[in-house]
Amino acid sequence: MSQSTSDSGIDVASFVEEFNLARIGQYVLVILFIGFFLAPLETGIMTALKTNEAVARTIPLAPPTGEGFTWGNLQFALEQLSGAFFNSLFMAIPATIGSVLFGSMAAYGLTMVRWRGQMLFLILFLIGIFLPYQAVLVPLARFWNNIFPLASMLAPTFETLPVVQDFHSNLVPLMITHIAYGIPICTILFRSYYQSLPSSLVEAAKIDGASISKIYRRIVLPISKPMFGVVFIYQFTQIYNEFLFAFTLITGSDTPEAVVTLILPAVGASTSGIDFGIRMSAAFLAAIPTLIIYVAFAEQFAKGLRTGGG
Amino acid sequence: MTMGEIVIENLTKEFGETTAVDDLSLDIADSEFLVLVGPSGCGKSTTLRCLAGLETPTAGDIYIAGDHMNYRVPQNRDIAMVFQDYALYPHMTVRANMRFGLEEEEGYTKAEREARVEEIAETLGISELLDRKPDELSGGQQQRVALGRAIVRDPEVFLMDEPLSNLDAKLRAEMRTELQQLQHRFDVTTVYVTHNQTEAMTMSDRVAVMDDGHLQQVGPPLELYHAPENRFVAGFIGEPMMNFVEGRNEGGRFVGTYVEYPFDATIRDAVDGADDVVLGVRPEDIAVSTADGVDESDLGAHEFLMHVSVIEPHGDQNVLHLNHPDDTAEDDLLHALTGGTDIFEQGSEVVVTIDPSHVHVFDGESGDALHNRRIGPEAEVTNV
Repeated sequence: MSQSTSDSGIDVASFVEEFNLARIGQYVLVILFIGFFLAPLETGIMTALKTNEAVARTIPLAPPTGEGFTWGNLQFALEQLSGAFFNSLFMAIPATIGSVLFGSMAAYGLTMVRWRGQMLFLILFLIGIFLPYQAVLVPLARFWNNIFPLASMLAPTFETLPVVQDFHSNLVPLMITHIAYGIPICTILFRSYYQSLPSSLVEAAKIDGASISKIYRRIVLPISKPMFGVVFIYQFTQIYNEFLFAFTLITGSDTPEAVVTLILPAVGASTSGIDFGIRMSAAFLAAIPTLIIYVAFAEQFAKGLRTGGG
Repeated sequence: MTMGEIVIENLTKEFGETTAVDDLSLDIADSEFLVLVGPSGCGKSTTLRCLAGLETPTAGDIYIAGDHMNYRVPQNRDIAMVFQDYALYPHMTVRANMRFGLEEEEGYTKAEREARVEEIAETLGISELLDRKPDELSGGQQQRVALGRAIVRDPEVFLMDEPLSNLDAKLRAEMRTELQQLQHRFDVTTVYVTHNQTEAMTMSDRVAVMDDGHLQQVGPPLELYHAPENRFVAGFIGEPMMNFVEGRNEGGRFVGTYVEYPFDATIRDAVDGADDVVLGVRPEDIAVSTADGVDESDLGAHEFLMHVSVIEPHGDQNVLHLNHPDDTAEDDLLHALTGGTDIFEQGSEVVVTIDPSHVHVFDGESGDALHNRRIGPEAEVTNV
């Protein structure tokens, strides 16, 4: 095709071919998509830095200018959320560690140790994944409030401890609920990883005289480090962002033990209307812990996915 | 009762519907090097895993040093095992890998454990690798560490599951010799599983050939080579493999599709009563000479005119693929080994001589050996 105009001396067609049309289309599409995905984020950041008046006057994408700019939103949101941050982390970190650790142990027992009836137990674990949250809310609340009021049992002990207050004991039932609910999915994630490990490792350790618990502690646990990264990130995000259990077990956003996800809907809302600047600031602040976890475990996350586990 | 003696009685192992090992009985003497060999899926690894305690036998009994082992956990069997993939603990240094098994053994202080690891590392020439991780080692070095981890525990029995199959050919040959020397040095009963008949032949005191869960034959390597009990063993041991020609026994003569071969008196008695027979002859026992100026009428009863279809030169020897001139089939009738300097043209006619003293005859139905080649005291192999 490039030959068509070659007689005239200037080869226009071949010149055009260097700007490969398909390629240009590709880039345009990529840029459009980047814009499409980043626009809400940009809008959010801009809104967080604007006064309520500026939010009303300027278009959402535009950066704040002059008097419209303020750090006040972030400051106010941080004040509102600081207690909730502590509550959320105090609950989510032990809950994550607990469910990941128990999940790994259960997966080891179901994959690398042979015993009668393990298929039945595996099925029970699988059912655990598909149990809908909504179905257990009422029994859960009744259990922790009436049948086994752990929070009020622990309150006196918590009062004597440093750092925590008596009301923090209300987070313990939530923590345990998350551990219990997290075990099945963690077990399945670890199970697929353990199945990909050569069985000869465990067999070699058996012949070397190690007991089942020693094989777990000394061989399986250290080898599953990359998978711990993956499951930890996943599970932490789930628990930290979870709303339904928190809403059921902790009565409301006005309680001192409320977690971030309970506080968030209330921040910046008042009878006089919604302050979007404060809301956006709070939303960004609330997202920071999960972002930190992702960055901190990024290497292990990538490694874990590579090793064929996740 | 000697320490490392192993007795396997009527061992059967089933996995659901499949029978991996069927009624296997085998005695292994103290400090013997026994190689279990067979094609994949023949049950050799399962047998080894039953010995190790990684599988529980469905039926039968296993005794090590006179003690019943069936339900004993691996750590109480006084065995060590080397795996095909070495199974080194990837997160531990070589030192920690070798020490791991010692941690459960009684009667060692911490310092003694370290000393023992270093002593064995010295023996194997891996002292300088002690503080490295397995993924920093070459395949050969990993293999040595795996051996070291087994030796360090000073077991009564070594179990080895295809330990050399992941090494390249040159290293494999070196390790064969070294393994043999180590076994002599530590004088430990060794059961070695492989599908490689060269390893079986070169390393073992005795070879046990398995096929389809059944033990086919046990004996010293040369006995298996020269006096196989059935067609499977004859075909499995030896490279290139023994030639088999199927035919009938008609009045003291072998009659195949293209060749007739008169039996001599000894063979005739041995094959008496069998109708379908298989003639077996090893490639190196076939004499090949040029057919120039030879007329078919000049040939003796044990000589044939054949056609060279393919030549595989190996340098030290050549493998000739031979066909009968009338044979149009794709597959070759015979493979013959000639000396490296005996050069034949592809497509040429040759005279093939098969001496009656080199011939094996197998029953066509059961595959049992009816007659094996004669090896007298004057023959080339004297201490079979």
